[in-house]
Amino acid sequence: MKARWIALRVIQEIVRDRRTLAFFLVVPIIVMTLVYYAIYQDEVAKIAVISRGMARLFSYDLERALTKEKNVVVAPLSIPDDEQDPARLEAMIREALKKKQVDGVLYFPERLITDRFDGKPGALYLYVEGSRPTLTGTVGSAVGNAMSDLSAALPVVIDAQCSAKCANSVNNKAIDLKKVYVYGDEDYRLVDFFLPVLLPFFVFFFTFLLSTISFQRERVRGTLERLLITPITFTDIVLGYLGGFFLFSTLQMSIVLTYILMLITYPVTVWQIASLLVVSIAVMMTGLLLGLLVSFQAHNEFQAVQFIPLVILPQIFLSDMIWSLESFPWPFRWFAMVLPLTHANAIARDLMLKQLPLWQLWPNLLALAALFTVVLVLLGWVGKRSRTMFS
Amino acid sequence: MIAIENVVKVYGERRVVDGITMDIPKGRIFGLLGPNGAGKTTLLRMIMGLVKPDGGRVRLFGDQQPGSDGAARRIGYMPQELALYPGLSVLENILFFGRLYGVPEAELRRRARTTLEQVELADRQDSLVGTLSGGMMRRAMLASAVVHQPELLILDEPTAGVDPLLRLKFWQWFNDLADGGVTLLITTHHISEADRSQEVVFYRLGKIIRRGTPQELLKHYQTTDLEHAFVKATEETGGNNA
Repeated sequence: MKARWIALRVIQEIVRDRRTLAFFLVVPIIVMTLVYYAIYQDEVAKIAVISRGMARLFSYDLERALTKEKNVVVAPLSIPDDEQDPARLEAMIREALKKKQVDGVLYFPERLITDRFDGKPGALYLYVEGSRPTLTGTVGSAVGNAMSDLSAALPVVIDAQCSAKCANSVNNKAIDLKKVYVYGDEDYRLVDFFLPVLLPFFVFFFTFLLSTISFQRERVRGTLERLLITPITFTDIVLGYLGGFFLFSTLQMSIVLTYILMLITYPVTVWQIASLLVVSIAVMMTGLLLGLLVSFQAHNEFQAVQFIPLVILPQIFLSDMIWSLESFPWPFRWFAMVLPLTHANAIARDLMLKQLPLWQLWPNLLALAALFTVVLVLLGWVGKRSRTMFS
Repeated sequence: MIAIENVVKVYGERRVVDGITMDIPKGRIFGLLGPNGAGKTTLLRMIMGLVKPDGGRVRLFGDQQPGSDGAARRIGYMPQELALYPGLSVLENILFFGRLYGVPEAELRRRARTTLEQVELADRQDSLVGTLSGGMMRRAMLASAVVHQPELLILDEPTAGVDPLLRLKFWQWFNDLADGGVTLLITTHHISEADRSQEVVFYRLGKIIRRGTPQELLKHYQTTDLEHAFVKATEETGGNNA
């Protein structure tokens, strides 16, 4: 069995390459932790209940029924009790949903009671944020279940509050539940939620991968050494790589974007497409610089390849791409803030699903620009040592 | 041309370059002869500014620092490995390196043509480097290292793995370059290569153990070949446990 000598050689090499060994052992732990937090609990939706006037008689029971629902928490909402104007109240509810203070608001208008006394079914309003179909679904089904639980108790409540004359007309008439979407509508599909983030992901993934490998190849075949002794500067090398990759990344972006546009069902404006392209270019440049940085730190192709899952996998888990960041403990949520895709995905969804103008997304844009700058500064620092990197 | 003063490089506890002082005059073929691992490549990298000395200093072309823009423009380098882009043709590789040195395009193309003819690769100029034989790759390497017409050409084991006929040709080209005023600094562990240099330094364990023309060295060690001269020099300075 000569194979044992090959096995021994492989073991010796890996054991002596401590960084590779560390990656080999640490990366699975990191990934398993991320998988655990990503799937160990379902997404929890926050629902607020707002009621006015006599409608509180209904809301109290429904709020109690909601607390028994799975994956739902009833959250308070700071809207003044004395605010009665329906238009202002709706504006406040919409604002709370936009700020993600809650995922849904169940609003019991005062006229619900008078409608029921008049023999009409009356209407309840369920406001949902709407951009995240999974949360919209959780909120909708929790409210639906709570209302069916409530229907048995409803006539008794009504009996106690109105005369026998009205009770007959009210009983057995289901309350009409009207859904109001802040973003999108009931036709938003799960796939619509994922499609916008595919563009920044593909652009980042491929640019990072190619720049890491290409630069490592320069080092391995000795051309990096030759480049570094020529009169060109380190900035020239970085700009050269940016220029070279720009062409192919733009081509890739166009293909992915065209495909996405063919698959989505909601209307998209030219402005939204242009904004998404601008963000994707920023992501491409960040991915490229990060690839170069990683390549400089890797001493061989083995280490360079190990960096790929270390950089890519946390971004798949923590960038709100598939799993909600809310599922993760706070250290992960903080760490997510330094990942370019966290901000790029937020921008892509806000642009496409919420149809917000680019300038309104300045916090994420600023974060993306800051991350780009940090990577650039780090690369510059590494570049200063580039001429003596063979030491 | 090259002034090296008391240069030291330490890796861990090993003094790879141990207080080297030497100067290399213009227009000479200067051979740095020593066994593998003697620190020759490290010394070359210090001259090119790729490795920073831990002590001492290196000055090029008068008072220029290794790695400076001015010095970089005047140096050509042919490393041990086949450092070319296999996905580019021979001509594309030569043009690429020439452009990095800022040679004007028309002049660069003229020089590339001449250089390719000199290294006898004109008929393969459009072949991808990845498809060439080892000897052809070495010739393409030399062409890409001299296309910007450097004053100092640094060659690290330039004929390693090259057949005897091609080695002779390489030396013809080296002599032509030296005749044209180019200084050639060649590291080698092949005695036959050192033999062809105009001046040789015996280099061992990071130190210069003897310097002279091949004739001077042969005379000093009273031998007929440099191999024996090197062995005697090694014994003189404390054994052969390199």
